[in-house]
Amino acid sequence: MRIGWRRYELALALLGTVGLLFAGCGDLSRDELNRGVESLSALAAQGQLIANGVARDATKSTYTRVMAKTLGGEAEHEAEKLADAEPSPGVEQERGEAVRIAGELADLFSELQTFPGDERRGAQVQKQMAETKEEADAVVERLSGEAQ
Amino acid sequence: MRAVLKIALGIIAALGGFLDIGDIVFTTQAGALYRYDLLWAVVLGTIGIAVYAEMCGRVAAVTGRPVFDAIRMRMGFGLGLAALIASTFVNVLTVAAELGGLAIVLQLLFDAEFSLFVVLAAIGLVVVVALLPFGGIERVFGYCGLLMLVFVATAIHQGPDWGEVAQGFVPSLSDSKLYLYFVVGVFAAALMPYEVHFYSSGAVEEGWTESNLRENRLNAIIGYGLGGLLACALVVVSGYLFHPLGVDPTDLGTAALPAQGAFGETGLLLALGGILFCVGGAAIDSSFAASYNLAQFLGWEWGRYRGPKKAPRFTVSWLLFLFGAMLIVLTGINPVEITEYSVVLAVVALPLTYFPILIVAGDRSFMGEHANGRVSTTLGWIYFAVIVTLAITAIPLLLMTNGGGG
Repeated sequence: MRIGWRRYELALALLGTVGLLFAGCGDLSRDELNRGVESLSALAAQGQLIANGVARDATKSTYTRVMAKTLGGEAEHEAEKLADAEPSPGVEQERGEAVRIAGELADLFSELQTFPGDERRGAQVQKQMAETKEEADAVVERLSGEAQ
Repeated sequence: MRAVLKIALGIIAALGGFLDIGDIVFTTQAGALYRYDLLWAVVLGTIGIAVYAEMCGRVAAVTGRPVFDAIRMRMGFGLGLAALIASTFVNVLTVAAELGGLAIVLQLLFDAEFSLFVVLAAIGLVVVVALLPFGGIERVFGYCGLLMLVFVATAIHQGPDWGEVAQGFVPSLSDSKLYLYFVVGVFAAALMPYEVHFYSSGAVEEGWTESNLRENRLNAIIGYGLGGLLACALVVVSGYLFHPLGVDPTDLGTAALPAQGAFGETGLLLALGGILFCVGGAAIDSSFAASYNLAQFLGWEWGRYRGPKKAPRFTVSWLLFLFGAMLIVLTGINPVEITEYSVVLAVVALPLTYFPILIVAGDRSFMGEHANGRVSTTLGWIYFAVIVTLAITAIPLLLMTNGGGG
């Protein structure tokens, strides 16, 4: 009997733990979205620096290719994560913009990966990365501004 | 000059210890997040490891016994076994992370499959260890790791506001948990237990006696001082370039970007070469440390100088640790994440490593006239108090900051 009760208690504890874990997997909150867009801004900043190396012919193409592949993968992953999540009320528009920005970043990294030795394209990508970063920063500002 | 050339052991231990994959990413992130504010933590860690490395080098030179012997002798079987299990766990994680780091750098240089480079890196380490004597291994990884000096040149080239940089050396605390997490991480990275295990066993490998005490002091001051200088340079270049742009340098390759910005492709290649040798040195340090500890605890014959025939169990355990680490990296776990966790988990094992060193090095019946003097004793106890404080706070901070993710 005692063993039976222990099992019952254990099952309850497990259910509670699973419940708590899943409680965090609901809507995409303003804070989570903010963090996601901040990481996109950081990725764009890194992209700017890598593209700058290409534009100045001051880098090694293998380095550019591998870095662009890694960072592009991170941008794609962020895009998927944001697109899959259900936004909480009031941040639907920002969520849409974040997904678009992440997609744009993935495309830009893909361009760097394909043309790691093309200086003209490097300069172009650098400029576009800077613009994308500005867009991401604007979304962050809106999200944190509206929160106050 | 001859004396300076003799400090390869200190340099490889310091570069491997200060500038392994986790430290490179940790210090670069610290600069990116807090600009120059955490420089003081690097200096604090540098003095701490120099104090304790000097002590355990002195114990090895005077008594011919490495650190793990001292741990077993002073703490008994039970606590000795606990220290062995904790340090082996952290060491294997560290070897895995370093192997992964080697593979990342090789991939950045030659662009092929990551898993292929993991296997090649492991084979490369076996070949290097098989072909070179202990002194040769020290010199190759120690001196080639000095390519990292490109980061000092980068800092000078960037020309930051040196007044602001100087302010970073003044200790400051904040109520931000993330800031405290980085203080613990930067400090702990400097005091990873494998550094002293490798350093003291290396001194025995080299047959140090009392006549090497001056060399030991030079190793501790110049070797670890150099490691600290390079770690500070990483914080400065990252703080200058990444902080204003909001870059979050979570990849090993990003750490090389400041050198590329300053000196173009040459800077990039020097930085990647320096990282390659530092991470390779750390892989050797930590894998040797794991085998040294096991062999010393179980009373096996040990040492690279004895060769596989005279120390077969030591050699086989080294190969097994390396193989196990290779399997861990091949599962696809991010090497940077492995090492960040191993640094913080190592903090918990720090008191078990440093307490016996402090006791043995201060024991006049054991060390005679070479026992700790007033300065070593005072610094040793102050640092031990800091180590215990960090050991208590490390895990809660790791959990509260989501592993530094904020």
